[in-house]
Amino acid sequence: MKIKVTQEKLSRALNNVSRIAIGKVTLPILNNVLIRVDNKKVSLITTNLDMAIIDFLPVSSSEDGVITVPAKLLAEFVSNLPKGETITISSSGTKVTISTGQYSSTINGAVADDFPELPEINNKKAVTYKMGVDDFKTSIGQVIIATSNDLTRPALTGVYFNTNDDHLAIAATDGYRLAEKKLIDKVKSEVKAIVPASSLQEVLRSITDDIEEVEISFNEDLVRFRLGEVEIISKLIDASFPDYPKLIPKDCNIKVDLNREELIRVTKLAALFARSVGGSIICETVTSDTFSVKSIANEFGENDSKIKTKVTTAGKINLNSRFLLDALNSLEEPVITFQFSDRIAPVLLTNKKNNQYTHIVMPLSS
Amino acid sequence: MYDVWQNTLAEIEQQLSPANFSTWFQDTTLLSTKGGHIKIGVKNTFYVKQLRNRYYNIISTALQNNRVNVVDISFEVKSPVKSKVRSREVTNSPLVERIKSIRRPTLKSDKPRQDGLNQKYTLDNFIVGSNNDVAVAAAKSIVDAPGTRYNPFFLYGGPGLGKTHLVQAIGNELSLKNPHLKILYTPISDFFSDFVDAVRNGKGKEFNRKFQELDCLIIDDFQFIVNKEKSQEEFFNIFNNLYQLNKQIIVTSDRLPSQIKTVDERLASRLTWAGAFDLQLPKFEDKCAILRAKAELMGAEIEPKAIEYIAENVNTNIRDLEGEFSAILLMSEVRGLTPLELIENGSVSVNKSTKLRPVSPRQVIDKVAKYYEITPKELCSRSRVANIKNARQVAMFIISKELGLSTNKIAAEVGVKDHTTVMHGIRKIENDLKLNFALRDQIETIKEKIYG
Repeated sequence: MKIKVTQEKLSRALNNVSRIAIGKVTLPILNNVLIRVDNKKVSLITTNLDMAIIDFLPVSSSEDGVITVPAKLLAEFVSNLPKGETITISSSGTKVTISTGQYSSTINGAVADDFPELPEINNKKAVTYKMGVDDFKTSIGQVIIATSNDLTRPALTGVYFNTNDDHLAIAATDGYRLAEKKLIDKVKSEVKAIVPASSLQEVLRSITDDIEEVEISFNEDLVRFRLGEVEIISKLIDASFPDYPKLIPKDCNIKVDLNREELIRVTKLAALFARSVGGSIICETVTSDTFSVKSIANEFGENDSKIKTKVTTAGKINLNSRFLLDALNSLEEPVITFQFSDRIAPVLLTNKKNNQYTHIVMPLSS
Repeated sequence: MYDVWQNTLAEIEQQLSPANFSTWFQDTTLLSTKGGHIKIGVKNTFYVKQLRNRYYNIISTALQNNRVNVVDISFEVKSPVKSKVRSREVTNSPLVERIKSIRRPTLKSDKPRQDGLNQKYTLDNFIVGSNNDVAVAAAKSIVDAPGTRYNPFFLYGGPGLGKTHLVQAIGNELSLKNPHLKILYTPISDFFSDFVDAVRNGKGKEFNRKFQELDCLIIDDFQFIVNKEKSQEEFFNIFNNLYQLNKQIIVTSDRLPSQIKTVDERLASRLTWAGAFDLQLPKFEDKCAILRAKAELMGAEIEPKAIEYIAENVNTNIRDLEGEFSAILLMSEVRGLTPLELIENGSVSVNKSTKLRPVSPRQVIDKVAKYYEITPKELCSRSRVANIKNARQVAMFIISKELGLSTNKIAAEVGVKDHTTVMHGIRKIENDLKLNFALRDQIETIKEKIYG
C-alpha cells in the first residue's frame, strides 16, 4: 500500500475520521483508521459500531493495499508536519512509514482482517433526498437541541426524519419540548427513521465550506449522508417516535407577536432571578397592550419586564427560561409568534411569516 | 429460550478473545429457532455483517452442540433496550403524558368498552376444583339472579388464585345475558384516583351519578383501599345506595376486610353481610386439571407424567403454575424435546415450591421459637403459657406440613406427651388458619425465614 498526497488534504481527512476512533477500549482495532487503496481509489475509514466515517481521499499516485493505523496518532503526526509538503504513506507488513522531506516515522499498524466489515446501503432500494448543505445545517441545529440524552428512552435520543403530507420533516423531543422543521416540500418517497443525535453531530462537524449539497439515503436500518468526498453511515434507532403532530396545538386562545431580540433580553433578565426556582419564569398577557415576563426568587428579589404588543386575551403561563431561550435562539425572524391556551397546554413558538419551523414547550406546573 | 442462548454464548466465548466476544456478542438475543431457521437479534445494523461473515460457523456449531437444529441463521436488528423502556413508562414526562391523553379517546372509539371487562375471562374457562367450587357456585347464582342472594359478593384469596378471573367472568356473563346492564369493573385504586380527579375538577356529583346508575359494580384488589376519610366515605355512600337498590356489588381482596387496617368498621362489616367466599390453593388433582385445560387451550401436547411433575412441584399459586407450564412448553419447542424428556434429562427444574430445600425439625423449632421470642427450650417444654403453647402448635404444624414427619416423631421432637397431643395441635392450627389471617401471615413469615 502506498499513497502520495498533500499535507492539507491528508490532515483534513484524518482529523475528520479520527474523531470517532477514540475512546473505545473494548475492541482496540476500533481506535484505528483503515486505509484502503483499491484501483487508485483511496478511502480512510473509522467506525465505533454505531456509525462510520468514510473519507475518499484524492491522491496524486497510489499502489493498492490495505492496512489499519492508530487513528489519533496518525492524525496528530500529520497535522504537525509542515503545510504544502507532499506526504508519502507506505506499508510493509504491519509497519507503516510516513515520510516527507526530512521527516520520516514508522508506526506499528495492524492487519485489516480484524477491522469490522461495514454495512452498506443498497442504492436501488434506498430512499434518497438531496438538499442544500446550509439549509441542512441550520435545520438540524434548530431541531437537535430538543433531543434527550436519556438512554432509557432511545427514541428521544435521535432526530426523527419523517414524511407527512408530501413533505420531509425532522423533529426531536425530550419530553418537555419539541422542535419540528420542514426540510423539503413535495417529496415522493416515504421515510420514517430516527437518526441518533450523536451521528448527526458528526455529520455537522464534517461539513466544510466547499460542500454545497448533502445527499441523505435511508435503508431499513441504516442512513448514509454524503458530503462531497465524505460519507457517514449510521445506525437508525430501533424504536418508535411519538406521534408528534398531535401534540402541536392547532389553535390557541392567546396569540401575541413579539420582537424576538426584545423577548430574548427580558427572558435572560428574568432567568437571572429564576435560578433558585429551577429557571421558572411567568409569562403573562395583559389586555390590551402588554406582555410581561416575571420571575420571583424570594431571597434575591424579583424581576418584572414588559414588552408592548397587541394583546386581545389575558392569560398567564409558567415556563422554563432555558427552554424558552433555546427556542427563541432557534427562531430566525425579527418578529415571532407566541401562542398558548391555558396553564397546561403547550406554548407554540413560530416565526411570524415563515411556518417551516415549529417549537413547542410544555409549561411548568405553577 | 434464553437458557439455550446463554449456553451457546458460553461456548462461543471460549473460542474468541474477550474483546471480540464482548463487542460482538454482548447484546445478542435468540429470537426464534423454528424449523431450524435461527433468528438472532443484534444491537444494530453494524453487527449484522460481521456476525454473518466472520462468526457464522462458530455460532452454528455452538447451537448444534446445544441440541438446536440449525438449517440457516439470519440476523435481525433488535435493540435490547426496548423492553427496559416499557417497564419504565411510569416515569413519563409531560409531553408523553399528553400524547397518551390525546391517544386514549381514539383507542376508545375503535372499540367502545368502558366497563373495564376483559372478554378473555369467562366462567367456562375457569377451572372448578375443590379449592374454589363454593365460590364458583355463588358466582353462577349471581349470574342467574344478580343483586339477590349473594349481595355483596365478597371474594378473597392469595395472589394468582383467580379472583380477577372469576369476577371478570361474572361481569362478562352478566353482560352477555343482558347487554343493557350497566356494569363497571375497577380496581379500588382507580376508583379512588378517579374520585380525586373528579373532585378536583369539580365533577364530584357527576362521578357519584355515574356510579348510582350502575347495575353491577365490581371492585378488584380491595386491600389497596386508602386511608382517606373522604374517599372511603364516598365509596361507602355509593356502596349503600347501590345496595339499597338491590344492585349487585362484587368485591375482591387478598384478605378479609376486618384484616385490612385502613378499613372503616362499618364498611368492613357491610362487605361480608352476604358471606365471604375464599379461593384456596388448588390441590394436586386440581392443578393437574388446570394444566390439562391449559394445554388444550394452547393446542400443546404434553405427557400426563409431565403434568403431574409440574403439578407436584409448583406449590405457590395458579399464576406460577401456568407460568412454569408455559416456560417448559417454550423450552420444549426450542430444544425439540418433549416436556417429559426435558424433565427426565434434568434440563428443567421446577422450583416454584415451598419445599425449597430439606430442613430438619430442629431448624423449624429454632425459627419458630425465635419468631415468637421464646427460647427453643421453652418451646419444647411442657409449659401451658398461652404464647408458648401456641408457638409449640405452630412448630408442630409446620413440621408436619413441610417435613411430613409422623405425629409420633413430632411428639418426640417437640417433647410433648404423645401423638394425640400433636394431632390436636395441628388440627387446632388448621382450624384457626381458616379465619385467622394474622396467623396465616405469621406462618408464611416463619416459612420464609426457614427456607430463606
